[in-house]
Order: sequence, then C-alpha cells, then structure tokens
Amino acid sequence: MFCTSGNGAARKAVLYLVDCMAGTRRAQRILALVAVAGGLFLGCRKEPPMPEEAPAGQAVHVDLDAMPYPTLSEYRFFVGDLSERLPNTGVLPYAPITPLFSDYASKERFVWMPSGGKAQYISDDQVLQFPEGTVLIKDFWYEQVQPNNDRRILETRLMFRRNGVWVFADYVWNNEQSEAFLDLNGSYVPLDHLDDGGTVRHVDYRIPSLAECHTCHKSDNVPIPIGPKPQNLDMTVTYADGPMDQLSRWVAEGYLEAGYPANIQHVIAWDDATQDLQLRVRSYLDANCAHCHNEHGHCEYRPMRFAFSMTADIANIGVCVAPEEVVDPGWTHIVEAGDTARSVLYHRINSTNEAYRMPLMGRTVIHREAVAMIGEWINGLTPPCTN
Amino acid sequence: MDQRPDATLHQLNEPNDRNDMNHRLPTLLLLTGALSAHAQDDCSSAYPVTAGFYTITAVNGPGVPYPICAPNGSGATAGEWFSYTPTADHSLTVSTDLPMNTGLDTRFHVYNGTCGALNCVSGDDDSGSGLLSIATFNVDMGVTYFIAFDNRWSSAGFTFQLSEGNPIVNAVNFTPTSIPATGTVSCVVDMNGDHLDDVVGVTSTNININFQQQGGGFSTMNFPTAQATNTPSWSIAAGDIDNNGYNDLLYAGVGGVTFMRANADGSAYLTENRTDYIFCQRSNFVDINNDGHLDAFVCHDVAPNCYYLNDGSNALTFHQGGFGTTGGNYGSIWIDYDNDHQIDMFIAKCGGDPVNQLYHNNGDGTYTLVSPNMNMADNVQTWSSAWGDFDNDGDMDVLVGASSLGNGGHKLMRNDGTTFTNVSPGSGFDLFNGTSIEWITRDFNNDGYLDVLGGGKLMINNGDMTFTMSNITPTNGPTGDLNNDGFVDILNGSTAYMNTPNGNHYLTVDLEGTVSNRNGIGARVMVSSPLGNQIRDIRSGDGFRYMSSLNAHFGLGEDGTADVTVYWPSGIVNTVTNVAADEVITVVENTSTDVATHTPARELHLFPVPATDLVYITGPTDLTGRPVRVLDLTGREVMRADLKGDGLSVGGLASGTYMVQVVYPNGRTLQKRFIKN
Repeated sequence: MFCTSGNGAARKAVLYLVDCMAGTRRAQRILALVAVAGGLFLGCRKEPPMPEEAPAGQAVHVDLDAMPYPTLSEYRFFVGDLSERLPNTGVLPYAPITPLFSDYASKERFVWMPSGGKAQYISDDQVLQFPEGTVLIKDFWYEQVQPNNDRRILETRLMFRRNGVWVFADYVWNNEQSEAFLDLNGSYVPLDHLDDGGTVRHVDYRIPSLAECHTCHKSDNVPIPIGPKPQNLDMTVTYADGPMDQLSRWVAEGYLEAGYPANIQHVIAWDDATQDLQLRVRSYLDANCAHCHNEHGHCEYRPMRFAFSMTADIANIGVCVAPEEVVDPGWTHIVEAGDTARSVLYHRINSTNEAYRMPLMGRTVIHREAVAMIGEWINGLTPPCTN
Repeated sequence: MDQRPDATLHQLNEPNDRNDMNHRLPTLLLLTGALSAHAQDDCSSAYPVTAGFYTITAVNGPGVPYPICAPNGSGATAGEWFSYTPTADHSLTVSTDLPMNTGLDTRFHVYNGTCGALNCVSGDDDSGSGLLSIATFNVDMGVTYFIAFDNRWSSAGFTFQLSEGNPIVNAVNFTPTSIPATGTVSCVVDMNGDHLDDVVGVTSTNININFQQQGGGFSTMNFPTAQATNTPSWSIAAGDIDNNGYNDLLYAGVGGVTFMRANADGSAYLTENRTDYIFCQRSNFVDINNDGHLDAFVCHDVAPNCYYLNDGSNALTFHQGGFGTTGGNYGSIWIDYDNDHQIDMFIAKCGGDPVNQLYHNNGDGTYTLVSPNMNMADNVQTWSSAWGDFDNDGDMDVLVGASSLGNGGHKLMRNDGTTFTNVSPGSGFDLFNGTSIEWITRDFNNDGYLDVLGGGKLMINNGDMTFTMSNITPTNGPTGDLNNDGFVDILNGSTAYMNTPNGNHYLTVDLEGTVSNRNGIGARVMVSSPLGNQIRDIRSGDGFRYMSSLNAHFGLGEDGTADVTVYWPSGIVNTVTNVAADEVITVVENTSTDVATHTPARELHLFPVPATDLVYITGPTDLTGRPVRVLDLTGREVMRADLKGDGLSVGGLASGTYMVQVVYPNGRTLQKRFIKN
C-alpha cells in the first residue's frame, strides 16, 4: 500500500519505525509493520491510529529565520495528540539498519524537506547531502516507566539546515506529555523502567546540552547529522504495502535524487545472530563509535577508525594496537586477540565509570547484549597478539 | 601437603647469559624427561630453587599470592610458590620471557619475610614480550626470597628462568605498600592542616581519608556526604576555599562540578552540586583575580573554559569565557612563567582545536593570550604538561607531553625569558615514543634537578636539559610524601609506591598563608643552596587527573643547608636562611618578620658524632627491635642489624661517613648520616 494525500502531489508519511528497548528484537521489529486503519501498526508501539489526512491549513510550519520555535507543536510535524507523534504530511519516518544505543531508550526518526528539495547521494559512508530547509527529527522515550508502567517521552531533537549550516534544537517534554519546550541547557531525568525481561532498570537519562550535541555531531567542528548515510538506510523494510527498499521509498517520496549506485556497501543489523559475527561487530562499532573515532571527529587523534568502511582492516578497531592512553596497565591492547580481560575496548564498553566508559556521551548504562556480542568476537580472535 | 603432579619442576644448570641460554634451550628441553613432582602450592610449601629453568604445568595451587607486588591488581585465584636463597649479594632476574612461552600470559610476585608476613620485593606482569613477565632486582646473601606466580590472567603452565647477575643500580627504587583506601583514589594532599600528606578516595556519597600519622602509618576515616551529582571521574582538585585550615575538594565530572566543603573542624563535608554544564577535564584551585580568595578553574572539553570566582564570602560564582573561545581544553596548569610573581596559565590542548595556549596574568584580573609570541602555540595533541625549572636557571621550563604522536612528539621548551626555545632534539624526549595523558615533574632522586614522569617512564634529569629514560613499576598517579621521609612517593590506586631514600638530602617547605590563601597556592618558593637556586610554584592540580601534594619538595643532593624564599600571591616575601637539610619547615605568611616553624622532630638523632664503637639512635617512636641498615656513601649496604635498646655497634666499620636507615613496617624510612672515627 502506498498512501497518497488527497491532492495526489503532496507526500504523506507511510511508515512508522521505532527502535524498541531491546536491541535483540530489532529484526523482528522492522518486519512488524502492519497496516492498521489506514495507517501503520508496529509491534513496539501501542496502537498509533494514523490519520487519514492532515487537516487543511495545518501543513508543517518551517520558517527557518524564526526557528527554533519555543515549542515543538509550533512546527506541526505531528498531527492530533502531540504525544502520539503522528507524522504530518511530508514528515517521513526512517530508520537505520543498526541504531546508536541510547540507554535502552526507544527512538524514532523523521525527515522533512521543503517542496522541491531532494537529498543527493555522496558516497555509501557519507551523510546524504541534504537541501536547505531539511529538518531531521528524533524522539526519545521509554515504555513501561514505573510506577505506573506507562510511556514517557523525554525529548525530541531537531537538526535543521539553514544557510547551509546545520542548527541544533532540543525539545524537552513536560510531565503531562502535552508539549515539549526548547531547552539546550542539558538536564538529567532519573527514571525506572521495566525491561523486556520484566526487570526494573534505573537510568539517569541525560538530555544533552548544545555543547554535548555538537561533541558527536561534528566534522572538523562543523555540525553534521550522523545517521542518514546510504550504508545505514540501504535495507528492505516491510511496509504496509509490502517490502520496499528504504532508499527507493525516499526517491518515491521525492526526498532523494535517483541514480545512486545500485550496490551499496551497507552495514548489517548488529543483533541479527544469523549474520557473520565480525560484520555485526563492525556494524555496531560504526553506529556507536565512529562519529567520534574518525578523521574529522572528536577523537580524531586516536588511532581507532571505527567507520564500517574502515574496519575490514581490524587494526582500525585496535586489534593488537597498544593504547596511547593507559587506563589500566593490565589492559594491554585496544583489542587483545582472544582476551577480553586485557582489551581496553571491552572494558570501556562494559563500564559505567564516566572516566573511561565508551561512548562517553549518550550512554550511562551498559548495553549488555552488545557487550556480550563483542566479548564473543574478541575471545574468538586468533592468533594472540605478540607485540 | 598433597603431592599432586600439578607443577612439574626441572632444574638445569645454565649460564646466566640469556643469549647463550636461548641458543642452548632446545637441547635443554630434551633433558626434561626425568622430572619430579614437587608441592609448591603455597608459601609454606615453596619449592627451593637456584639459578636455572623450571617448568610449571599449571597454576593451580591454593596459595593465592598476597600482597600483590606486580602491576594490575587482584583477580588471581591460584598460585605456585618457590623459594630462593642467594649465596652472595647480586641481582636476580626472574623471567618467563622465553621462546617456548610465546603466546602465554604470566605474572609473578617476589617477597621477603616469612609466610603470612610477606613484604614485596619485586614482581612483574607484562614487561616481557607479548604478555610475558621479567624483572631484575637485587638480592642479599642469606635472605630467603619467595617467588610466587599467579593466574591473574591465565592458569596455563609455562617455563621460567632464574639467572643471577651483578647488582643493579636503579635511578629510583620504589616499594609497594598497601593503603586501605576506598573509592576513586586520585588525591594525595594534606586534608587536616598537619602538613602531612593524606590519601583521599571518594564515591558519590563518601569521602575516605587515610590520614598520615606523625609517627608513620595512616588512620582511616570515612565522611559520608550528601549525593554528589558529579564525581571526580575526570579530575579532582583540593584547596581551602574558606581558609579554615581544612581543605575542600572539587569533583570534576563529565557533566559539571561538585564542591565538597569541609566544615569548621573538618568533621564533615557539605555537598555543593553545581548545575552548569561543563564537560570537565583538568580542574584547579587558584586565586585567578588575586583578591586573596581562592577560585576554581575548570577546563571544558567541548566549549570555552569555565571558572568559579570566590566573592570573599566563600560563595562561588560561575563564569565562562576569557580563556579561549573553543573546546579541546584538557590540561590547565597555573605557573608564573615570567617571574613577575603573578600566576599565569598554560592549557594543554587536544582534539579538533589542539593549539596550546599560554595566558599572561595582567595583574588586574584579566589575562592575555601570549602563546603565539612566546613560541608556545604548538599543536601537539596533549592532555597535560610538566612545568618546572629543569636547568635551575631561575625560570619555568616545560615539557609538553604528547598524548598522541599524530601532530608530533613531546616538546621540551626552555624558558629564555622573552621566548621559549624548543630544545627537544638531543634531550632524550625526541627519541621517546611513550605517550600518556599524564605528565608531571618532581625530583624523585633528590639530586636537585626535576625529573619527568609520563609515557610509562621516569625521565631522570641529567642536569643539563637532557634526560635519561628509566623504568619504574608505578605508573602516573598522585604524588606526595606518604611516609614523610623526604622522598616523593607515587600512589597507584590503593597501592603507595614508597620511594627508597638514596642518601641525597632534601628540604620540604610547607606554606601557611595569612593574607594570601591558606595553602599558598600560587606562591613561588625558591630554595638556594650550593647546587643552585631551585623554584616551585604551589599549584592545586597538575598533570591531567590527579591532585598531588601542596607541599614544596626540593632535593638537595649533597647540600646540607639552604635558604628559603617565599613569594606569596599577596606580594609579601618571606625569607628564612640557613635551614638545615632533611627537614620539613612551615613558612607562615608574615608581614613583619620572617618566621619558619620547624616541624617537631620526625627525624633520627644520632650521637656521639663522630662515633667510635656505639651509635645511639633515637627517633620519633621507640626504635627497639627495628631493622637498621648502614649504607656507605655509594649507597652500598655495609651492615644490617635489629636495634637492641638504642645502641648500634659500629666498631667494625672502617673510618668514614655512613648513612643509617631505620625502616618502619609501613615502608617509611628515616635516615641520618654519621661519621665513624
């Protein structure tokens, strides 16, 4: 099914993708899109009724010079009850193949472009070249928040492109879940939520300040998006009208210039246990580490290069590479082949100590499933390092 | 004791030459058919060994080696034990760094003493190739040493070699001593105003202080605190915000700062969580605007630097800006580079904006960026710098230590007054590829010249702006004098590496500000002795992460007296002349007279001098039964005995000058020279 708006020309959001709490369910999540009442239903989301059509005169309101607005609702990215975040016409949901881990928060992403604007392909591993006026939208929430076991939306982050420069905005949701307010000062939200196994998990969720946004979202100190790269989007998604390639959908929506290469070197779903372990690890490291550990990122001066396009050479992951910064003299290499106990990378991802945890921002709890996977990979590496 | 054939031993007589050994090894291995099993599962069943090769089939004895002498902490669950008693004074090398062990992972500890009361002598984890172990240390004839391997990383069997050689002379020797510290232990500083360095460990709800005692050792106290929203994961600093004689703490975390303020009698700490977002790096206490009130400075990783100004009523007001407009600020350090007695500041920078910055204090609360004019705007990727007068010519030089070699290596910059000159070529730092985020300078061998610790090595200052690389066991950590013997010790977690005195003299100068801030942070201390003038700037927070002693330590080499001048931030200058070496003096800021309080005796007294048959030794505590060593002026041990009463019989010694050392159980050593007729 491919929904179109009444006038047949405007775009309409047709898919609804959500990162659920447990990464292990990601594959099934993507495939769980089902049409419900003219919209879409998704396994992780509680019955979002999709509106037939955006009310007349209520189109998305993007006035770059006046942005960021004080409140999220002013953009009219969503229609109806704001807390349901039902995308307005032209607000296209999208999802990466392997997402960034964000303390087990659920996330969903949307892209909006002004009429006539189209993104251009640059390369598999570079962010699409977006047109002036593009807005990227990302919601963060938890399900089963205690004590009432309800959903709590925490923040909606925006990046918009104005005068050729990406601008950050962040909207923090009120307790009533009726509105979100511009706030770039940063704050903590302590909460308890139930995980998939029914265990209560505590998190001091961090809503970033402007400086924190910029720490990860930069290339040579210039703000950039991270996720929307062809390598991350090139997957088949089962829409309500059947399976469809996500990039093709962007083209169909008028959001991407056709003619990009047919064979994109894409990452894989890190939690897809049927896939090659090293590919899963490389995909995870790309999504979680490469935004800082690249030639233009925050940690460019360290030897690791975690981008998927760089890690076919596992020396770029740090295998048998001695650390420049000695956190513990017993951690002898970034990755000690066959030995997690001596691998700096393993300790860093398996720690909440803010002095050496990695990623150093955006994570305050341990991503247990990912640590297990990377541990399995490290312990299986041979031969032992001899340097 | 069971006789499980878990560890099979075979000894082969073999020359000490390792190269020779390697050549012969294949032959030796063929001889291993006739093996006998020995119990060596714990200390009491340690198997006696001499020089040669031994094979252990598995590390599975129940005797887990303790204390831990090798690096890398606890985690072992089994051990294998050997004993070794040399027939002469020499060095012993214990090594698993052998070709047949390639790919294995070993660790060992070496002790003296008796089972159940063992003292660390040596140990190693990874100094060999790969993850193999090797250590060389001196052993004394007739003393029994225990060599214990553990399974910290692996229980797999391996071969090891013992070989004997000539005694070695280390630049500096350290002995590990365990301190019952808890939490994040990254601070060594006097917390209670007795001028003895204490050990501070913190959690978000507790301050654990091991107070150093006058007679040696520590007394542990815990101070529960209200929840700190920021913990000192990135750095910690200490200073006395309200000048009440009890130091306060600054926790610099990933999202901001928490102050811990000591109350009037130091019995509790008040939590002051600040909500300003700072991705903290190095933090310092310093009187930024020189109004007599201690302020706090915090490097920001991803935005301009921040500071908290003390308004005089001890309220701290947040400010941002005035010290650069970008992030990448890692290692701030406050020093007076131009000798105008106004504290200046240097920031080691890293990341996307790595050009280092030097700020000149204009004296009116403002600072001017001068690094481009002073040849200090280098872009080396660095997290900290070691500032000191390496050539004792009266001004602060600096070693800007690389954290990554991507933008070039370490820079040794000589202060030439109107500019800094890169004197790295030929200095020893040009060939040094070790990197780290921590770089500090101290005089570790008390020879009167500042050494540099960083990059996994100790760089010993040769006195001519060149440095000699030296291996030491401890890594960078907070430093101070943890046994009050005048030699700088290094703390690694809860292990204090006590620096063994080498006979050189020292002088420690403690400050007590009355007009300036209480600790005299920002003061310049100059010590003049025949070897020259040495200077220190009192600073809260150097290196990257740790807080080290606020006491000014000076090595004096052979010099027995010195003059001390203190230039206080207030402008007051106090001078104390003809101070005897090997003492700790406290200089109180005084507007009328120059006063130095000589700390009560923490030293040995010897008489008569010169001595003929008996030397009577008294110290701060009863010394009866304490082991005593007598060294000649080359540091060679000529005698050892346990004190009976307080008299030591020295009739057998040749005429000359000697050093008496008394060792305390906590590792503290007191020493004094005497002359034998």
